[in-house]
Amino acid sequence: MTPLDTPMQRSQSISIASVFERYGLVIFLVALMVVAAIASPTFLRPANLVNVLTIAAPLGMVVVGQTFVILVRGLDLSVASLMATVAVLATAFKATTNEAIPMIFIAAIALSAMVGLVNGWLVAKRNVSPFLATLAMMIILQGARFAYTGGAPISTLPPGMGFLASGRVLGIPVNLITLAFLAIAFGIVLHRSRLGREIFMVGSNPKAAFLNGVAPDRVVILCYVICSVCAGIGGLFLLGYVGTVSNWVGQGYELDSIVAAVMGGVALSGGRGNVFAALLGVAVLVVINNLVLLLGFPIEMQLIIKGIIIIGAAAFYRTRLA
Amino acid sequence: MSAIAMDIRRNRLMLSYLIVAVLLVLLAVAGGFLSDRFLTWRNIGNLLQQLIVLGMVSLGQTFVVLMGGIDLAIGSLVGALTVFLANFLEWRPDLVWLALPLALIAATGVGAINGLLTVVLRVHPLIVTLGMSSIIFGGTLMYRKEPGGSVPRAFADIAYTKVGGIPISAIVLVVIFALAGLWLQRTRTGRSIYFAGGDREAARLNGLPVDRIVVLAYALSGLCAGIAAIFLTARTGVGDPRIGVALTLQSVTPVVVGGTILAGGRGGVLGTFLGVLLVTMLNSLLNFVNVSSYYQWVIQGLIILIAVGIHSSRRK
Repeated sequence: MTPLDTPMQRSQSISIASVFERYGLVIFLVALMVVAAIASPTFLRPANLVNVLTIAAPLGMVVVGQTFVILVRGLDLSVASLMATVAVLATAFKATTNEAIPMIFIAAIALSAMVGLVNGWLVAKRNVSPFLATLAMMIILQGARFAYTGGAPISTLPPGMGFLASGRVLGIPVNLITLAFLAIAFGIVLHRSRLGREIFMVGSNPKAAFLNGVAPDRVVILCYVICSVCAGIGGLFLLGYVGTVSNWVGQGYELDSIVAAVMGGVALSGGRGNVFAALLGVAVLVVINNLVLLLGFPIEMQLIIKGIIIIGAAAFYRTRLA
Repeated sequence: MSAIAMDIRRNRLMLSYLIVAVLLVLLAVAGGFLSDRFLTWRNIGNLLQQLIVLGMVSLGQTFVVLMGGIDLAIGSLVGALTVFLANFLEWRPDLVWLALPLALIAATGVGAINGLLTVVLRVHPLIVTLGMSSIIFGGTLMYRKEPGGSVPRAFADIAYTKVGGIPISAIVLVVIFALAGLWLQRTRTGRSIYFAGGDREAARLNGLPVDRIVVLAYALSGLCAGIAAIFLTARTGVGDPRIGVALTLQSVTPVVVGGTILAGGRGGVLGTFLGVLLVTMLNSLLNFVNVSSYYQWVIQGLIILIAVGIHSSRRK
């Protein structure tokens, strides 16, 4: 392979494949919705659809971030723990008026960015495997959070937080609007900016990226920071939706966010993926979860289906692109 | 050249064992100072009694990590098995002789399926075992949401019986670790686990049946989870679907502390054994000085990071 061996061609052939993947997922989603509509007349009611999307929004925010980390061959298992920790932090202000909301957001984002910085530093500079680094971070955050709350749930929140999470502007849920902003902003960063190109380069071949004048360490650290910040914001919106901090806000989101991203065709081997396809993965996941409920199956069945899907989707994309 | 490299590696590994051993002694001394009950026979007996569960799941994790994989289904599997054992034995307390082999076979089978899935689908083991864990956990919860079941007295005894002051479970653990160590060092199959974890392509080119080794390692991990579940059920007397949730992560810590880094192909059961001792002793000590379990989580996370930091900087 010469250095001139066509990064252009490669990216082109990959983008055709990824377009194909994207449509495959759309077809799957439509098929699921048809099944859901047939199985239960409730499904297509606007109230149910809006409900489904409202539940999906915080997960979507996490997935946007998770995509960045997976693109650089990483994985962030600390997102769920961070969401809960941010939620606890938000209640720590003991604020009952809406003036505190900007402060809460700033504090939450600052904490998240710090967490991401540590994760990224461990992975990029200390060569710790992403799995171990974020696992350790997950436990540390969990311990710190419980030590602060003593395990008891708290519910002191400015009323505006609830509005952010389940209120509507012109009939559209506020958290969906926020998710759209977040996805478009980070989508532009990823797919249209220089930084985005660097992320793809580092993900598909760190050495080549380095030789091309990209500092892989910096890019990797930045991806972890972005991931944590997205998770932190997702945590605030989820908190507003749930209303109380139970110390376990967001539990399971680490698995769900990885499932959604993988389903959306974000390759765990790095360097291949798309934020919006990953969000389609979220849609599929929440429709399946909703379907399980509408069909009257026990809620635990969601866990089983999720497990099968993540293995199946990973295998599917693997054979497709091998 | 490679012999020298091997030698250096070996010495480094020995050094990290030595560090952990020194830490163990320091902990014991510190414990003795902090509480006059820490170094009593009674507490040591308790400590030894607790070893088997963490010890077995960590041993299983060691096999898989040595081979270059990871097993995140261990905790769910242990939980599912305790539910099976406690409910089965409540139904037929006389069938202990049947329940135990059934549990071990099922455990080994689930492990083998994990291995087969990674081999056949070529999906990253993290994803396979994470998915598997979700499937097992969901299935168990569909059967039983709350802890339940009971075990006959004779079965409970295996967790509590002592011989000469030493719990049988601790003796079993040491014997199993010794056998595992001998097997890994002295037999062809055992050594091939190291080769598969070191450079898989090279192993394949040398004619090793890599796929079979992978499946074997996961099957062994399942078997170890089965043994852990038997002793856990005997000790607690109930089947709790959620009991394994924390166990998966706990099984990783001693493997990391013991120097069997997650890159695979290095380390061994001695390191894991020392790691299990260290973690168990530290937790016990923290309990003695009334540090809340919340801070124990923080400390566990820090231990992982420190151990990884030490081992990864040694690698360079």
